Amino acid sequence: MRFVGRRLGFFVLTLWAALTLNFFIPRFMPGSPVTALRVRTHNQLSPEKLQELLTAYGFKPNQNVFVQYIDYLGNMVTGHWGISIGASLGTPVRTLIGQALPWTIGLVGAATIIGFVLGSLLGVVAGWKRGGKIDSVLPPVFVVTSALPYFWVGLLLILVFSVWTNGFLPSDFNYDPDLVPEFSGPFVANVVKHAILPAATIVITSIGAWVLTMRNNMITTIAEDYVRMGRAKGLSNGRIMIHYAARNAMLPNLSGFAMSLGFVISGSILVEYVFNYPGLGYLLYNSVQNTDYPLMQALFMLFTVAVLVALLICDFAIAWLDPRSRAKA
Amino acid sequence: MNRLCRTGGATAAALVLLLGMSACSGSAKKRSSATSGAPVATSSGSTGASTSHKKGGTVTIANVQGQTWPCQFNPFNPAVYQESLGFVYEPLVFVNILRDAQEKPMLAKSFTWGADKKSIVFTIRSGVQWNDGQPFTAKDVAFTFDLMKKFPATDLYSLWTGAGLTSVTASGDKVTMKFNQAAEPYFFYFANEVGIVPQHIFGSGDAAAHPDTWPDKAPVGTGPFMVNPCTANNIQYTANPKYWQAGRPYIQKVEYPAYLDNGPANLDLANGKAQWGSQFIPNIQKFYLDKSSDNQTWSPPTTNVTLYPNNSSSHPTGKLAVRQAIAYALDRSQVAAIGEGGQQPPANQTGIVTPTFNKYFDSSALDSSGYAKQDLDKAKSAMQSAGYSTSNPLKLSVITVTGYTDWDASLAVIKQQLAPIGIDLTVDDLAQQTYNNKLYTGDFDLAYFGESGGPTPYYELRKWLYSKNSAPLGKNASSNFERYNNPAVDDLLNQYPAADDAGQVAIVKKVEAAMLKDIPVIPVTESVDWFQYNTATIGGWPTKEDPYAQPAAFNIPDVGQVLTNIYSTAP
Amino acid sequence: MTALLLDSGTAGAKPSAPTRRRGGGLLRAVLSSKKAMVGLVLFLIFAIFAIAPGWFTSVDDPNKLAFPPSLPPSADHWLGTTALGQDIWAQLVYGTRQSLVIALVAGWFATVLSVIVGVSAAYLGGAADDVLSSITNIFLVLPTFPLIIVLATYAGKGTLSVVLIVLIVTGWSYGANQMRAQALSLRNRDFLESARVRGERRSYIIVVEVLPTMISLIVANFLGAAVYSVLTAAGLQFLGLGDPNSISWGTMLYWSQNQQALQTGSPLWSIAPGLCVALLGASFALINYAFDEISNPALRPVRRRRAKRLHA
Repeated sequence: MRFVGRRLGFFVLTLWAALTLNFFIPRFMPGSPVTALRVRTHNQLSPEKLQELLTAYGFKPNQNVFVQYIDYLGNMVTGHWGISIGASLGTPVRTLIGQALPWTIGLVGAATIIGFVLGSLLGVVAGWKRGGKIDSVLPPVFVVTSALPYFWVGLLLILVFSVWTNGFLPSDFNYDPDLVPEFSGPFVANVVKHAILPAATIVITSIGAWVLTMRNNMITTIAEDYVRMGRAKGLSNGRIMIHYAARNAMLPNLSGFAMSLGFVISGSILVEYVFNYPGLGYLLYNSVQNTDYPLMQALFMLFTVAVLVALLICDFAIAWLDPRSRAKA
Repeated sequence: MNRLCRTGGATAAALVLLLGMSACSGSAKKRSSATSGAPVATSSGSTGASTSHKKGGTVTIANVQGQTWPCQFNPFNPAVYQESLGFVYEPLVFVNILRDAQEKPMLAKSFTWGADKKSIVFTIRSGVQWNDGQPFTAKDVAFTFDLMKKFPATDLYSLWTGAGLTSVTASGDKVTMKFNQAAEPYFFYFANEVGIVPQHIFGSGDAAAHPDTWPDKAPVGTGPFMVNPCTANNIQYTANPKYWQAGRPYIQKVEYPAYLDNGPANLDLANGKAQWGSQFIPNIQKFYLDKSSDNQTWSPPTTNVTLYPNNSSSHPTGKLAVRQAIAYALDRSQVAAIGEGGQQPPANQTGIVTPTFNKYFDSSALDSSGYAKQDLDKAKSAMQSAGYSTSNPLKLSVITVTGYTDWDASLAVIKQQLAPIGIDLTVDDLAQQTYNNKLYTGDFDLAYFGESGGPTPYYELRKWLYSKNSAPLGKNASSNFERYNNPAVDDLLNQYPAADDAGQVAIVKKVEAAMLKDIPVIPVTESVDWFQYNTATIGGWPTKEDPYAQPAAFNIPDVGQVLTNIYSTAP
Repeated sequence: MTALLLDSGTAGAKPSAPTRRRGGGLLRAVLSSKKAMVGLVLFLIFAIFAIAPGWFTSVDDPNKLAFPPSLPPSADHWLGTTALGQDIWAQLVYGTRQSLVIALVAGWFATVLSVIVGVSAAYLGGAADDVLSSITNIFLVLPTFPLIIVLATYAGKGTLSVVLIVLIVTGWSYGANQMRAQALSLRNRDFLESARVRGERRSYIIVVEVLPTMISLIVANFLGAAVYSVLTAAGLQFLGLGDPNSISWGTMLYWSQNQQALQTGSPLWSIAPGLCVALLGASFALINYAFDEISNPALRPVRRRRAKRLHA
């Protein structure tokens, strides 16, 4: 019980810290939603008029900051996230997030899983055939790929597969704009086609870390007694590799994987920016550009909560699987 | 992406920056006293009613918004009205900035000013239907303006507060608007900018309770197109079969994809997937024009990109000699050629945009002033009289916005041009927010900025020079950021609205003289509406020869004129 | 972000049973690793670029619009010119300095901060440990990149110091966690016990006894933080949140994207600075990896004899 309490306490504390930071950082820096909107509307409307308009949408510039802060905390927790006062002036923040969330989860989530599975498999093979050809090539290659800048890989892929091939693979959007979203073969195919390059970018840059850690875990595991015992029992190599070594080597990686799933919804800003993919990352970038406080705040909370929930699940799972860790915590 | 923020300096002319202060004036209109009931064809030129085209075809617009569509179409929400005004909602009268403020009757068949210009009577067009089949009447017009009174947030042009509107009444097919002052200057806003909304929609339910924030997801208007359907990625408009202009629109479908960035938008334009472009294309010759002989561009200038020297005495630019030196030293053609890649024409010190406003342009005054072309000798002697030289250079900084690459390039050229006369210019690239704060509060030596304009040069001149638009240093100015204060110029600007046509031209020329004498601001290049169009499948575009409307898709309500004039050329 | 998280995570997991090691041995071991050598050579090349860019190009002000725009590569302009008329090669050479400074300075201070926080948490224990590790964990979990974007946008002009501060503030927490874990495992070791019995002061014990033992973790941390800083700074500048007047690879990427270099036929403008970021990142990562292998002999690649024995 104490363990659960501690974890939940940490959850609340972190959330509070994140929310507080995100409330005060934009407000104590120059710029306001009014100037942002003034620019967007080509300087055509007077600042007074724009402020009046924004007030109609729930912007309260003159209210005491502390009162605003308390209101804000309450609203965040109760799901009253307000109405966008930025680029999508007038659209409820929940609608905006609801539109973008599936795309991010679909694209980044799928790519993260693919990267993890593929990387772990490669890592298993490399670690098993220690010192073999694969093992001598893979580590340096993946050390390099894991240090590649996300967005640059994206640009490279666009150049090769989109610009040079005259648009063979699309380099932007989540689907062709002349399609109407529906659950049909051609539409799904189109969505997949649009996801290939951004997903490839994420896989290429994330796979290295999984390969390397898995390989290292394998090497450590192979030296364990139970693997030796498997050999002594005369089990087939494949069986030992999968059932004895890989399974155990995978365990420490799972928590990393859970964590990376938590970062799925926030960790893709650059990819979404490069590919103009209308997900949460793009939304955040846009909200910052337009000083859209309500949207920024809700997104930031969502990002934090996602990681915290992933961590919590991971913690509890480990505690459940391994009673020793409970004692340690 | 930042680019899109300033592509349309002149878009819809101006507005309320001037109106914010009580004394706006400005005659939007030239042939105003005439009751105009001219046929539709007059302002649509060669593509007018005389020739008819068969219906059909699709046009795709590439106008970068940097966001997906919120699918809201409330014409009172400036964040979305670009997608509804002109498409779905229409004004009473269209005023064409590019043709000397020529008027084209839209929902009003004609109008008559009262003798003192304190009232105006519109005769409403009969036989017009809302796209849901309800008849459009004078009551809808009165309702629209009354709504703005009840909900000030919808009164985007401050008609009830700034313009002195006191009542709007409908009777039969007439709508009478009364003002407490001569209202002609506001015609451009209330007749041209305000989209008329239906009483039977905006007068009931949620819309009636919050017309300012109501999303208006399925807009009901009188315009040539209807939203059908809107998704986050694309708005598809289909032709309104009940449209009142017989036989129009010719084009039956409009695709308006939500481009998040210039790159993909320009790519689609280059390969013909989109036919109507509205943003800057770098290296346009190679990237766009050379790709196909059907790819065309025409970007008419309507305002200036201007160097604002801080006129207050606490800055070195407060000295007239320093400002004169800068104006002499500039080679605007070079700035236009290198900085803007030849895509914007050079401006001139009178501030009159040529050829758009040629009628007002006093070229002989410009020639005799010596500012017509670069004159380094005069610039150097002006600097000497201010106490500076190349050995004792004046250090100045100029603020600009991060991401406006053409401005950066222009300023780099300007920096090189000012160096030989003893000005050491630092270019200060600022984030948009920081830049705005400094600009509005006057916290700069020099600022680079493009003001919005209007149907005549008066609008931009007034924003630059009218002292009531300014504010003390440290306070936000609504325009006149350079803090120029000349009572004589204020007087001229105050006289303008009451003057007749010839008088207005004369007044503008006097203001030009002040521009040449005081150098309050230094226009550098002429800001254009970026416009690219593809003629492979679509004809009837606005062109230099037939400038029937401002061509870029973000111009409201001009976009409606283009939409009703373009046609498919497919056999 | 994920990649980095895991990278440093494993780096921390392995040296959990550190041995006392002299610096000299470490250096020799690094020099004998092929990966480390590749990394070092890359790093040295960049270092020379950064120190004396004038040796490699005749252009002195690479931001000046001195040439005709959009030239293809030629003998005069090895990588061609930008759409604004700047020499791409010159920008690349001059841009090295800022990227390298960011890597080293941000990496260094982030590491120092993690050592201070991590070791004090472990050594002080009790309430101090609770507070310090809570702060560490909060920073660990905060969505860093969004936070960085917000910070960099509102800190106005993204000068070098703003970027550095942002990177340090967001980059120390992984390290601190590892430092704490390792310092904790050291606490009850004999050699520390004996120092305590000798009556040494705490600060003496930490500086003289504890830190040298942790040197390999600290170096690994520094390298990880450097990679993080290089990549994140480039990403920030690419988004236009840096100082657009500065000369750096990230700023080049920003301008090339702004001018749609890929689409308008000057892809080198985009590809070259990105490649440099990648190579600098790779050089740190390679050194780091080689370092890992050295401090954890089990991971070394060519170990045929032992492998055979295993199979036997």
